[in-house]
Amino acid sequence: MKLSKNLAELVEAGVIDQGTAERISAYYAAKTTTPQSKLVIVFGILGALLVSLGIILILAHNWDDLTRTTKTVIAFIPLLIGQGICGYSLWKRSDSTAWREASAVFLVFAIGACISLISQIYNIPGTITSFLFTWLILALPIVYVMNSSSASILYIIGITYYACDLGYWGSYQVESYIYWGLLLLILPHYYYLYTKRSESNFFTFHNWFIPLSIIITLGTLARDAGEFMFVSYMSLFGLLYLIGGTRVLADLKIRNNGYLVLGSLGTVVLLLVLGFDWFWSDMRDVDRTENLYNTPEFIIAIVLTVAALALLIYQKLKQTPFMLRPAEWVFLVFFGLFILGMNSPFVVIWINILTLIVAVLTIREGAVRNNLGILNYGLLIITGLIICRFFDVNIGFVMKGLLFVLVGLGFFFANLWMIRKKKKVLTPS
Amino acid sequence: MDDPKEKESAYSILIMKRTVILTGFILMVVLQWFIPGRMIFFKERVLSEGTEYRFRTEPFDPYDAFRGKYIHLAFNQATVQLKDSANWNQGEMIFALLSTDSSGYAMVTELRKEEPEEDVDYLKVISGYVYEDSTSTSVSISYPFDRFYMEESKAQAADDAYHQALSDTSKVTYALVLVHRGEGIVKEVYIDGVPIKKIAIERQKLEEEVQ
Repeated sequence: MKLSKNLAELVEAGVIDQGTAERISAYYAAKTTTPQSKLVIVFGILGALLVSLGIILILAHNWDDLTRTTKTVIAFIPLLIGQGICGYSLWKRSDSTAWREASAVFLVFAIGACISLISQIYNIPGTITSFLFTWLILALPIVYVMNSSSASILYIIGITYYACDLGYWGSYQVESYIYWGLLLLILPHYYYLYTKRSESNFFTFHNWFIPLSIIITLGTLARDAGEFMFVSYMSLFGLLYLIGGTRVLADLKIRNNGYLVLGSLGTVVLLLVLGFDWFWSDMRDVDRTENLYNTPEFIIAIVLTVAALALLIYQKLKQTPFMLRPAEWVFLVFFGLFILGMNSPFVVIWINILTLIVAVLTIREGAVRNNLGILNYGLLIITGLIICRFFDVNIGFVMKGLLFVLVGLGFFFANLWMIRKKKKVLTPS
Repeated sequence: MDDPKEKESAYSILIMKRTVILTGFILMVVLQWFIPGRMIFFKERVLSEGTEYRFRTEPFDPYDAFRGKYIHLAFNQATVQLKDSANWNQGEMIFALLSTDSSGYAMVTELRKEEPEEDVDYLKVISGYVYEDSTSTSVSISYPFDRFYMEESKAQAADDAYHQALSDTSKVTYALVLVHRGEGIVKEVYIDGVPIKKIAIERQKLEEEVQ
């Protein structure tokens, strides 16, 4: 082994003593077990997923030669097996994450297979929506009894699909308010991960899946006053961004902090889209007979804005010294601009200035934190803004070309400067 | 941990934790059997106590990844003509009273907003498009049963037979439905009095012989 060789060399040279060498090798020996057990968990879950999906497909064949009673008995066999394996892993393998997660995943799909086969036997019609709802309600207890995060992720995917089916794809589009209730039911497990297992990959997955699910589903609440959904979304992105900045989450790597990434990306994309004049001129042209301030969309926008504002104030009160991060205040300015934009044609200019400010602040943050990723993200926002403006502003090719050359040089020098700065920090002499 | 008192309390916490998990597990298992069991119970009751009706149909066949192959049943009587205009809304659950026409097929005679209390056969249906003019109202309805599951291998042959019967206007296609307290279950689908499963098997045999 390479490590023991190196350690022996260090002991011989008198850099470390024998005790330290032993402690170091013991530390690495303990650490190497982690990736292996992680692999076992991943393959356990994958295996359970494949086997149970296979069973669903076999049952979907719908064997005509079997009697109704036989088919009914068959429907319950996967369920029985799933519950058996879950019981076994709870009592005999309670310390093994792989056993718990894999058996939970299998049981989730066994429930799906069972109710889907009953639907077949009795020719129960209906949309996928009612089928999915029964499935979700029966699968939810698995999350808590088995303490299973993969079941929780499957549940989140399920309720998101359910909400979309109800709100976007259904023949009678209804508001999927049930979704929010179903989402609440999974939060205790999320809170458990937050307090007890904030280091785990499952926590990271939840940090991505939960905000993504909310972003996808919020649109199902739109009805007649869809314009207000832009305010709602902007405030939602602000709220997500702020949540990404709270204590436990702020310490995570950026790629593990779904709230921060989605909040920031969402804010920027929305700003770029609303930087076009057509949205605002369309909004001013629409003759509104009903009172906009009485619509559910307006109430949702207000609730989200107030929630984001409350979190912003709370964070700033606790923070010393006071500083504003690039995208955390945008939703507040946007709310004011949106109200103005209903009558004034100049708002679109302000939106573009706002986007530019966000970009510059992002570049600044990248420089302050010595982070090339954030710096280049800021430069990308500027590039995006310039490309968008090329669509609707009449400027000549020479001018367009010059702007791109300037931005390109900006990328080049900013990165060069940052790399030099990093080198200086590493070699202070 | 050497203190016997501490040891004892740690042990009792462990026992308590196990009891909570065991109770949760048992509740979960009971729920997972109860809900599907309840579905089966209600459907079996319809099958044993329901009244038979023959609904005239028109066919086609989508593929549902979750539930295998089935025939989508489109019923002849998709809208109901009413004399009154009792403010029908789209997407509401309403009650359709059933009767049979002169040739013995089922027909919806009346729509109600409240569940009938007298001893009549009715179905829970969902109201669709509502059209009103000065003399009458027509409400389109979607039936609580619209699919008939087939074994995967027979579904294509059955669908072909179904489409052929559709273009051949002399053939009558209908679904035999059992109706009980607003619920209905499709028991069999017939083309000219022959069960579609039988036709599918014969067609399969015929195709195999040709090949």
